Amino acid sequence: MERRRFLGVLLSLTSIGALGSLIYPVFRFILPQGEISTGSVLRIKRGDVPQGSFKELVLDNKPIIVIEIPQKGYVAFSRVCTHLGCLVRFDHEKKVFICPCHGGTFDLNGNVQSGPPPRPLERINLKIEGEEIVIG
Amino acid sequence: MKLREFIDERIELSNLIRSQFSEYRVSERLNIFYTLGFVALAGFVVQFITGLFLLIYYIPHPQYAFQSVQRIMNEIPYGWLIRQVHVVGSNLMVAVVFLHMLSVFFMGSYKKPREFTWVIGAGMLFLTLTFCLSGYLLPWSQLSYWATTIVTNLPTAFPIVGECLADTLRGGKAVTGFTLSRFFGLHVALLPPLLSFLLALHIFLIRRTGISLPPWHASEGMKGSGHNIEGMPFYRFMLKELSIVMFYLAGIFFIIAFMPTLFLPDDANTPADPSNTPEHIRPEWYFLAPYEMLKLIPSKFLGITVQLLFVIIFLFWPFIDRSPERNILKRPVLLWTFIVVTGLWLLLTILGGY
Repeated sequence: MERRRFLGVLLSLTSIGALGSLIYPVFRFILPQGEISTGSVLRIKRGDVPQGSFKELVLDNKPIIVIEIPQKGYVAFSRVCTHLGCLVRFDHEKKVFICPCHGGTFDLNGNVQSGPPPRPLERINLKIEGEEIVIG
Repeated sequence: MKLREFIDERIELSNLIRSQFSEYRVSERLNIFYTLGFVALAGFVVQFITGLFLLIYYIPHPQYAFQSVQRIMNEIPYGWLIRQVHVVGSNLMVAVVFLHMLSVFFMGSYKKPREFTWVIGAGMLFLTLTFCLSGYLLPWSQLSYWATTIVTNLPTAFPIVGECLADTLRGGKAVTGFTLSRFFGLHVALLPPLLSFLLALHIFLIRRTGISLPPWHASEGMKGSGHNIEGMPFYRFMLKELSIVMFYLAGIFFIIAFMPTLFLPDDANTPADPSNTPEHIRPEWYFLAPYEMLKLIPSKFLGITVQLLFVIIFLFWPFIDRSPERNILKRPVLLWTFIVVTGLWLLLTILGGY
């Protein structure tokens, strides 16, 4: 390899290395810092969600809803619509979740019933311990 | 006079003014649509100045942002005026930029040798919309919070990289104080110099290639501006441009005086509540068409991809349309495409408003 060409290649490689070492920290700086889930658990009394009704709560900064479905018991879902992130509302009469933004609807199992949402609502773990509902 | 001579002896400012404003000539055939670029520039200057004033009192923190904006509106002397000019001005500026692009398209001014001028101009249109988007969140109202939630969720339509893109934009999984900081930085520190740079490049290109003539007045090689053409001195055309700017400013003050809530509905005066999405949330009018499209196209991925394709085609249109004919009236297919696309955009905007 000619000396001039060798120096050219060397200069290019060094420049790329120098640029990369500048870009990488900037890239890492811009990326969101991993949100550490506190693994928090919510405990509410069964009486807070009477038969056939629902309660809206916040778990780990995420808006959720707990519903008591007759013959099925308690279920919890994230309220964040899987389309564009608006918060769904529970329509007690029609027994569906409705997104106010683009009108997407989800059934009581969180499955998409109509509209543009691509996925079901996220289901949140829930168990019953005596008189308490433990969510999360 | 002494000061003028003092300056002239050193930097020959009079020469520069004479060569750029008197000797530089503009064709008499340029119509009123040729002033829109200058009006958009004036709009940017208005936004820049009012934005600087708003910075004095605005606090970019979720706890104080809404209150600080309310304070500007209700307590600071003439704060309402400065904010209203900023809000109304941003909407009118987008309208002027849209009109400018439409008229440039209609008059075929994007054709050789002005392809780069179009690309930079289209880039500035998208930068202006980014300005609007980033500024929209800053008041931290219900309207701004949820409109931003919707828009920042759009990238999630793309597989693999979508979630990462959306998270980077928001600084997390949802719109929070991190998003506010990012958008504030973007709005006041990153976008203004970027737009100023593109603006300078745009003006440089216009000066290098000269202003184009309307296709129905142009013949081969004729220029709408230059040092060696027949026409009026540039300063006379500038007076025409300034008079249109006066109409633009009058439009701003007309809206502030007679329709003060046009761009500030009730949800814009309610503090952001991350646990409650208001009914019928809608973005600003210039985002209504893409918003409505997302509603009508059942697949989110398809909806976003169609829009992205449209943006790419729009941005690089001069390199796609290779026909040498500039007069759109002699090109029925292009004319009808223009009418149908503009009509569809209007229709989607109207539908999105209801």
